[in-house]
Amino acid sequence: MSFRRHLPHYLMIAPFMILFAAFFLYPIASGLFYSFHDWNGVQTPVFVGLGNYEKIIHSRDFSRAMINLATYIAITVPLGIIVALCLALLVDSFTGRWSNFFRNAFFMPVVLPAFLSATIWRWIYAPNFGLLNTILGFFGAESVNFLNDTGTMLYALIAVDVWVSAGFNMVIILAGLKNIPTELYEAARLDGASKWQQTVFITIPMLGPVLFFVFTYGFISAMQVFDKPWLLTGSSFASYGGRRNALLFPVMDMMGRAFGGVKFGEAAAYGFILTLAIVSITALMFAVRSWRER
Amino acid sequence: MTTIKRTGSSDLVWLILKFTVAILIALIAVFPIWWMINVVFAHPGEPVSLNPRLWPTSLSAGVSKIQAIFAETGYLRAYGISIAYSVLTIAGVLTVASLAAFEFSLFDFPGRRLLFGVVLLALMVPTAVTIIPTYLITSRLGWINTMQGLVVPGVASAFGLFMLVQFMRAIPKDMIEAARLDGASHLQIYWFVALPLCRNALVTLAILTFIQAWGNYMWPLIISTQTDMYTVGQVVGLFNSPLSHNTVDTVMTANLLAAIPPLLFFLIFQRKIVEGVAMSGTKG
Repeated sequence: MSFRRHLPHYLMIAPFMILFAAFFLYPIASGLFYSFHDWNGVQTPVFVGLGNYEKIIHSRDFSRAMINLATYIAITVPLGIIVALCLALLVDSFTGRWSNFFRNAFFMPVVLPAFLSATIWRWIYAPNFGLLNTILGFFGAESVNFLNDTGTMLYALIAVDVWVSAGFNMVIILAGLKNIPTELYEAARLDGASKWQQTVFITIPMLGPVLFFVFTYGFISAMQVFDKPWLLTGSSFASYGGRRNALLFPVMDMMGRAFGGVKFGEAAAYGFILTLAIVSITALMFAVRSWRER
Repeated sequence: MTTIKRTGSSDLVWLILKFTVAILIALIAVFPIWWMINVVFAHPGEPVSLNPRLWPTSLSAGVSKIQAIFAETGYLRAYGISIAYSVLTIAGVLTVASLAAFEFSLFDFPGRRLLFGVVLLALMVPTAVTIIPTYLITSRLGWINTMQGLVVPGVASAFGLFMLVQFMRAIPKDMIEAARLDGASHLQIYWFVALPLCRNALVTLAILTFIQAWGNYMWPLIISTQTDMYTVGQVVGLFNSPLSHNTVDTVMTANLLAAIPPLLFFLIFQRKIVEGVAMSGTKG
């Protein structure tokens, strides 16, 4: 009786829930199953316990990828947010049409597919005739092979990354700026606070929650960086990570193990290791935040 | 005039400085895109020292490059695949998410909170953990190198559902009640009351889904393994691979054509896109 009354509700959510169960919940469960098995996709999976996890953690590619990732995140996330904050304050200081114009200009790179930002920059970075080397050559510098020199590769990626993410974060910060009550600034002005003091003591503290979101979101996506380093290094499943694995990142390593090495169990385990890292660090950030608020 | 009189010279310096900085950054943001256009619309033979590609110099050269790339490579086919992939994904996401959002936001039924909670959890699960097992089930369904393999696994978008629920919550319950008293069926209320009221949200979700699907590189990379199912992203990737012997002109033409749909969307819907991104951030 009650079920029949509610039947229309269930029918309406059924398409979403069925697809969600089939392509989200079930994969997670089966992924967990495979992560404990040795499986090449054809033969029957062989139970290996935590074998896959151990193999990954002890592999050289894993530690290389993790070191790259740590350096990358330590630079790209804070830098992306600082640049985005400056851009947002800059855009916000204009009014009307100019404000819109600069906001749209700064946002433009976000709309481009990530694969394109990587491929366009590949040519900008190209040795000898690339745009950047042409400019450097103008100043008399030697040609640098940005994407093949282990000293510059990571920074070349970070530049592309900030080029894209700054506009994205800026738009979110701008929305946060609009929510700060103007009375606060008026009061500060009456107290004789300068523009700089207003920014430091009102704007930035009031932006706290927004900056925290941008930081967490940026962190989570940086942990899973794939398209840009993959394409900047011209990777394929046969060979990826660039010269001496200088641009090897965990998701690339995972995808390589699955589709290059046909080790699906190992790749599934890799996904769980990465998720565990993401979830625990994110949880830690939330904990620190709520502890500081108290 | 009065404002100009009152601003001192230090304010004027500040204003000029601000504009200079803003214009410089705008150049950095836009220049790579601009440069791509210039490379395409320039005679391929001209050396960089004579024509640094700072502005478009030849329309006909660009047109012939575009014609050549469509005629000589599988680019046109990939373009079709990418358009079909994006359009079908949009249709799927909008239909499935709006149906479910309608129920989750406006009605109560046993299990509502639990089911919605599970979907919300999905927002926090990184793609890294789902992509391999989702590939495995898609492959077991025999959907590798098919359109349904590209589209269907991405249709149940937790983000889309969440966004539409936020919007539909604002619909007054009285309106639903009134429609019901007028004898409207459940489906009619959904179609004639709820959907028109959240048209803005649907358009925003459609645009964001388009940008996401058109730019998706990772999923097609593993699902479309045969050349006749390649998406634009993959073809662009191949053009750029170290083994391809394409000139910068060919590659940039491929890049430009891939950039046109999202850039066009942005020029038309800039406000909706910016608001959509801002909203996903502040409400999320």
